[in-house]
Amino acid sequence: MNRDRKKLFWETFRYAVIIFGAIWMILPFFWLFSASLMTPQELLAFPPKILPSHPQWQNYKEVVKRIPILLHYKNSLIVSLSVTISVLLTSSLSGYSFAKLKFPGEEVFFRFVLSTMMFPVFIFLIPVYYLMRLFGWLNNYLSLITPFIVSGYGIFLIRQFILTIPDELLDSARIDGASEIIIYFKIILPLLRPALATLAILTFIGQWNSFLWPLIITTSAPQLTTLPVGISRLSLAFATTETQHLILAALVLQVIPTAILFLFLQRYYIKGFVLSGFSEI
Amino acid sequence: MRKSLENRTGAGYSFLAPAIIFYLVFFLFPVAFSFLTSFKRWNMLTPFINAPFIGFKNFLDLLRDDLFIMALRNTLFYAILTVSITLVLALFYAVMINKARFSVLWRFIYFAPVVTPQVAIATIWGYLYNPNSGLLNAILRAIGLKGLNWLTDPNVALFSVILTAVWAGLGGSMLIFTASLNNIPQEYYDAANLDGATGFKEFWNITLPLLKPTLLFLSATGLISAWQVFDLPYMLGRNAPAKSVITVSWYTYEIAFQDLKMGKASAGAFLLFIAIFIITLIVLRLFGKEGIEGYE
Repeated sequence: MNRDRKKLFWETFRYAVIIFGAIWMILPFFWLFSASLMTPQELLAFPPKILPSHPQWQNYKEVVKRIPILLHYKNSLIVSLSVTISVLLTSSLSGYSFAKLKFPGEEVFFRFVLSTMMFPVFIFLIPVYYLMRLFGWLNNYLSLITPFIVSGYGIFLIRQFILTIPDELLDSARIDGASEIIIYFKIILPLLRPALATLAILTFIGQWNSFLWPLIITTSAPQLTTLPVGISRLSLAFATTETQHLILAALVLQVIPTAILFLFLQRYYIKGFVLSGFSEI
Repeated sequence: MRKSLENRTGAGYSFLAPAIIFYLVFFLFPVAFSFLTSFKRWNMLTPFINAPFIGFKNFLDLLRDDLFIMALRNTLFYAILTVSITLVLALFYAVMINKARFSVLWRFIYFAPVVTPQVAIATIWGYLYNPNSGLLNAILRAIGLKGLNWLTDPNVALFSVILTAVWAGLGGSMLIFTASLNNIPQEYYDAANLDGATGFKEFWNITLPLLKPTLLFLSATGLISAWQVFDLPYMLGRNAPAKSVITVSWYTYEIAFQDLKMGKASAGAFLLFIAIFIITLIVLRLFGKEGIEGYE
């Protein structure tokens, strides 16, 4: 009897704690969506309102009309997709090389690739900006894409995955006369599909959310403004005006694509995320 | 067979060629360039070659710059507090949610902020922190407390950023703890239960020691990324007086791209890199050697 009561107490405590936390996790998202449908007066009301009295769906129409958010969408999409495709290509090529092709210096270079992940981003800001100017890329997409086309994490992830592919499979192809490039396309890539899906969604969401580098680049090239930079400029420009409720509508539009991607590709994303937690230091 | 081996060496290098070129251009060159720049006076507008060497002046300037010292202090404070609070809460919730009903749903909810852009998170929380119309002060007032100036009181602003960061990062660490929890063989718990260890005792004597490698890993990676934090403080701290929540990334960004003092900014970046390196080593040491080996 005593044991049962103790257990009941623990279970109640457990679910109370879980639900309390969950409310906190959901609340900001719920508020964002609700507030994006408010009038500016409601948004600043005191005491604060939780729900709009009449949902202002035209906020969304207005935000598309008044802010070049479609352009920001296009830019974010071009950059994120280009980086993702490049990372998939370079990671699978390098990962295959590290996992299955023995060559002198392999070990040292792999250690080097891992150690690059420890270098903080602020060391690279000035020199890479300088390079982009030197190459004359400051006013086109290349400046937002090229600094990210190789990923140390991506190489590591794919290498680990290819290590689990049995050598015999590759050797029998080699005996049949297949060259390494054929093996890469015909055997490795098809087997890599789940790992590539994981890497793709991690890379895409990472780029979609990226802020500091696009902020630096688009200061002189506003036509390249991506969504996060657009939002940050908006919240500066609109903070005191009657139009600030539009920021929230713009925010909802920014959050939706990653939310949908995550909802459908959750399994892959979480796998990659957890794996990143188990890479070597 | 010999030919095939040669082929493989050749292919090995040529498959790596894109990565090798990339690391030469976007890693080795920048690191060397940054190092050189830190001894120069240069504003990016004049040719790099002509920029004069000024010895250690940039470094001395930095140490005399109150803003830099403040950025350093803020970042250290932010990193230590954010990482430790996040890890404790994440571990707590990982244990609570593990084997709970609807655990997939809970994990999904807790994880949602991890895929949300930090800029969006900061903007939302900026509204929640509003002293008059914000939800947080409304809650505080409802339970009979006084509202706070979350973002404009220099004594509070950094804590507000940390609170948001913990909210945003909790689910990520939780997920990794969950994965390690599931890796612990059930026999350990069965044996402990035979000995009469349950609940907290079981957690303390079995779960925690076995999670040590994960804890070590999350502290090290957490500190490395917290040390580079930019988005949250930059977005949330713009209205804080006298830049009271400036962090080192923010400082580097501003000195480089607004003041155009490339030498000083590079010197700062280098000092901070060394600091990160030392902190990581300390963390690894602190947990002892067995932690890393147990991990491998």
